[in-house]
Amino acid sequence: MKKLLNNWIVQVLLFLSLLGLTAYGSQMINDIIPPYLLMIAFFIGINLIMALGLNLITGVTGQLSLGHAAFMSIGAYSSAIATVNFDLPFLLGVLIGGLIASVFGVIIGFPTLRLTGDYLAISTLGFAEIVRVQFTNMKITNGAIGFLGIEGSTTFPIVMTIAVLMICLMVWLENSRNGRAMLAIREDEVASSAVGINTTLYKIQAFAIGAFCAGVGGALFAHTTTFIQPTDFGFQKSVDILSIVVLGGLGSIPGTIIGAIVLTAAPEILRPLSNYRMIVYGLLLVVIMIFRPYGLMGGVNLRQAVRRAMMFPKKKQAGREE
Amino acid sequence: MSLLTLDNVTIRFGGLTAVDTVNLEINQGEILALIGPNGAGKSTVFNLITSIYQPTEGTISLAGKPLVGIPTHKIAEMGITRTFQTIRLFSELSVLDNVKIGAHCRGKAGLFQAFTRLPGMKREEAEIEEKAIKALEFLDLATKCEEMAKNLSYGEQRRLEIARALVSKPKLLLLDEPAAGMNPQEKVVLMEMIRRIRDTGITIFLVEHDMKLVMGISERIAVLDYGKLIAEGTPLEVRSNNAVIEAYLGSGKFKSRIRR
Repeated sequence: MKKLLNNWIVQVLLFLSLLGLTAYGSQMINDIIPPYLLMIAFFIGINLIMALGLNLITGVTGQLSLGHAAFMSIGAYSSAIATVNFDLPFLLGVLIGGLIASVFGVIIGFPTLRLTGDYLAISTLGFAEIVRVQFTNMKITNGAIGFLGIEGSTTFPIVMTIAVLMICLMVWLENSRNGRAMLAIREDEVASSAVGINTTLYKIQAFAIGAFCAGVGGALFAHTTTFIQPTDFGFQKSVDILSIVVLGGLGSIPGTIIGAIVLTAAPEILRPLSNYRMIVYGLLLVVIMIFRPYGLMGGVNLRQAVRRAMMFPKKKQAGREE
Repeated sequence: MSLLTLDNVTIRFGGLTAVDTVNLEINQGEILALIGPNGAGKSTVFNLITSIYQPTEGTISLAGKPLVGIPTHKIAEMGITRTFQTIRLFSELSVLDNVKIGAHCRGKAGLFQAFTRLPGMKREEAEIEEKAIKALEFLDLATKCEEMAKNLSYGEQRRLEIARALVSKPKLLLLDEPAAGMNPQEKVVLMEMIRRIRDTGITIFLVEHDMKLVMGISERIAVLDYGKLIAEGTPLEVRSNNAVIEAYLGSGKFKSRIRR
């Protein structure tokens, strides 16, 4: 059984059936639940996709970025331009959005990744502002008035399937040589380069993949709301995504999933409180951070816990035999 | 045969000459210790070898290949790994992951392999894991595999750093004060370990303040004072060298005491 599971073809089939199941399941949900709840589910999925990207940059590689909304807006606008002005199919538009965002991730990566910590955060913030102002003044994006007439092509199964795909890719990445190198950079850059890790290369990889996720999220966002304007992608948006990552637990994929669900759903659940809504929402953030300072899933390593339970006794025995 | 050669190496930080025309040869398979008073430039020599600093003058070469100008991350690939004076582990990661990261320069998998997880990549992963476990067994840390690095005791953390440096099978291992903060028993174990590492064919170059350890394991000792190499030789020779005694204790009345 275990041997069968280790077979690559079997794994690919399992993976494809997981995607199929997600698409089918979300189609069922799509048909059942009321439109209002469906909209919340949409945004949970979109926020999750973007947060997974930021989790790779900030949580795994340890590079604090406050400019995630910029990558999102690049993805949103370029996919909108692709589908509206160039009549390209929707999914191709999403891919283009992701790729262009990822190119910008690399472009800002080169000069700014010599910076660390707070300094990097400020420069990414500056980059995000430049992008926002640029979109406000461009003709093709229709400036501050906003980009109209995008088709609402995003469907719930598409959002969910892409989200599950992204989760899988992130889990795989984290368990690869590249992912380990990124974690090492977060932990100690000097030691990383001493063991042969090209820190600049892996930081740029993280930025490129993270920006890709944000771009895809932005593209899905644009084709959900059908109308985008530069103010949708302000500093607040970057902070929203960062809160998802921090509240879920930096570097934790399950944490990011929970964070996306909690922080997207909370403002809606709290809606009956009307005027007090955002106060309670803020309070919720504070309370969670007090009781779980490393985030909801911070410090909880699911895989390690499972592995410890399953593998560790075996390894100990092997050690004794020798 | 000399493995690492420092040829007239000088580095100046502004007006300060931290390392001054040092000529040093490290032979294949030996244990060489670099000693000297605080601030003599010992760690700077390590930083020069690992390309963290570039020498102002002079050349450094590993088995004939020049090291000057090569980026730090390529040094490990060429066969030089190191430990740090202050422990630098990936403290939030597991012990096993720490060592696996040490094998980074011997791996080939890139993004494509990470996302496709083809059989070749899995084979490489299995190989890395096997190597890592072997390195941990060598340093008596195998039972701590799943522990987080920050939860290890001080001595264990020092050993983990060595395991991380060893897993890529370097030609030359640089140990920067490996015994710092260890108790006498741990030091004895460490000495034994360093000898065992040498016996696997790895050349060892260490900086250390603990004279008992230095005299006990090194085959040759080089002494640095104010950036200058003032003596070089067997422990016995260095011990009775006047310049060394002067550097450590000043000249005059203490001489007789150190000679014993």
